[in-house]
Amino acid sequence: MQTSRREMLSILAAAGGAAGLSGPAFGLLSTDPVLAAFEATAANDPWTLGMADAPAEGRDAVAERLQGGLPSGLSGVLHRNGPARFTRNDWRYRHWFDGDGMVHAWRLTPGEPVTHQARFVETRKWLAEEDAGRFLMPTFGSVPPDSQGMRGPDDMNAANTSVMMIDGALMALWEGGSAWELDPDTLESRGAKIWGEGLAGLPFSAHPKIDPDGTIWNFGQAPMQDALVLWHIGADGQLRRADMVGDVPGGMIHDFAVTDRSLVFLVGNLMWDRARLPYLDSFIWDDSRAMRVVAIDKADWSQRRVWDLPPGFLFHIGGAWEEADGTIRVDAALSDNARFATEGARDAMRGHVRPETDSTSRMRLVTLRPGGRFEQAEFADSYAEFPQIDPRFTGLQRSFTWHVGWSDNQLQGASQLVRRDLASGETHRFDFGSDIVVEEPLFIPASDRAQEGEGWLVHTALNKRARASELHVFDARRVNDGPVGSWRLPYANPYGFHGCWRSL
Amino acid sequence: MITISTLVLAAATALSAAQTGEAELTVSVTGIQQAGGQLVVGLYASGEDWDAGSAAAGQYVPVEGDSVSFTFADLPAGTYGIKLYHDVDGDGDMDTNLMGIPTEPFGFSNNARGRFGPASWDDAVFTVEPGSNAHALDLR
Repeated sequence: MQTSRREMLSILAAAGGAAGLSGPAFGLLSTDPVLAAFEATAANDPWTLGMADAPAEGRDAVAERLQGGLPSGLSGVLHRNGPARFTRNDWRYRHWFDGDGMVHAWRLTPGEPVTHQARFVETRKWLAEEDAGRFLMPTFGSVPPDSQGMRGPDDMNAANTSVMMIDGALMALWEGGSAWELDPDTLESRGAKIWGEGLAGLPFSAHPKIDPDGTIWNFGQAPMQDALVLWHIGADGQLRRADMVGDVPGGMIHDFAVTDRSLVFLVGNLMWDRARLPYLDSFIWDDSRAMRVVAIDKADWSQRRVWDLPPGFLFHIGGAWEEADGTIRVDAALSDNARFATEGARDAMRGHVRPETDSTSRMRLVTLRPGGRFEQAEFADSYAEFPQIDPRFTGLQRSFTWHVGWSDNQLQGASQLVRRDLASGETHRFDFGSDIVVEEPLFIPASDRAQEGEGWLVHTALNKRARASELHVFDARRVNDGPVGSWRLPYANPYGFHGCWRSL
Repeated sequence: MITISTLVLAAATALSAAQTGEAELTVSVTGIQQAGGQLVVGLYASGEDWDAGSAAAGQYVPVEGDSVSFTFADLPAGTYGIKLYHDVDGDGDMDTNLMGIPTEPFGFSNNARGRFGPASWDDAVFTVEPGSNAHALDLR
């Protein structure tokens, strides 16, 4: 491995300035402009801690309790995933979604300290690039210098988006390739999950849905073929069916919804155009067409209904349910453009956030009626992302969505935790203030028999002032009151995307 | 994401009638992940033939360990490219998943890789000189 610019500079520094020889005298100014911009911002903006590299060996610590404690009855592990390695060999990724996945385990055990463990997912990409000391593979939004071609999507699988438990294994999920299987106790990687013959390397997206009976539904997208792979997995973790379904427009799909009868896809207007590198550039914004909604019958994948909504874009859905006449109600964090995906998440790699490219999604309740009719109600009180529901109500009529929120003039992420009543729009809200960047809250029911919304919210956050990651627990019915327990790590983790809760 | 046309070996014997060989090419393949089955190898003599899947020579090479080597004898000197795949289950087909992405290992000369498809001729082409020649591929 060649000497990096950073190593060279440290050698020069150790040599006491080497008789006036500066970095530029060695040609060291020819640095990556994105890395240079990030380092310049990082020097005085602690928000960038969430976009910095985590150590390759992972992390282990006991969290310091700040206040309160674990509520009685809450015992388990919060697993999370997110991009955590952005720079190798003095070259920085161009898009936030490119970073290699790091899987976390926050262990919450009554009577014991809260502990944190994190390990990078040892994908083929990670292992090869660790060995090479540089990035080798094109990624979602970047083409590193001298990068190689690919033999298949799993060559660029970053396993960086979410996690879920299937049949006792922890799966690190990405959008374009296989789930990556990990040991949930050690976080050691076991390899790509292959569901059966002819299924290796197929996309297994990052937002599987689990019916109340434990049945798992997921999809993967083949946008250049206007097609989806649908996955039906039994509560026993065994594959029931996987197959291709065509005629679903190739607008980038990140999340979907289930009802008790249907799989519901909202196809935003960031549309497949033609294959380009980086992969993200294969998609272009096209608002000359509708935002197509496709509801596929769970029992017969050839049966579908469609609706054409005004153009839009979304990453995340709260949930959906279906009424007797076939009306589907679905809530999602929707925006009128995809500028955060195509530009804002690139700005973030430079450490910059601009109002014109920052996320502007708001929760909307969309009502899809028979015959292609629809209504939309937007909740305009704040921007919103990472919607979550009481998991026992997946696919069923429900009242609440929890999400992170931020006000209209606020940049650099969310500071609020919000509970929203879908019928009335009424919100409960806690604002941590400008020092805290709030991450996805998970709802954990108080018991199997508890009413909807009776339970806890568990979420992580970056405390910019303390330069450290935190974990907070809320009573989900009393969000306004603030956290009932808070803990802090001795370090800051990169911002994560999604998690799952494993009760113990 | 990657679609690759099945290696076409129909022209495998076409070269035997061509000019007598002045060159010999020994190909060694390492990094075979799974013993068993066979390597299906196509040797191409031009960019047009590469794109058309029209091989100048071909071989089926049994796989017993993690590496194999084999020889093309009596070749005219010139430029060539190799496409190969490891037919792990020995069924004679390059297995793919539901989306058409290969699920059996494959490779190209120069260890070239494609982006959204097979490697290009320009990346895979190499020169065979009169006399003995060696070319190494790694399937890892």
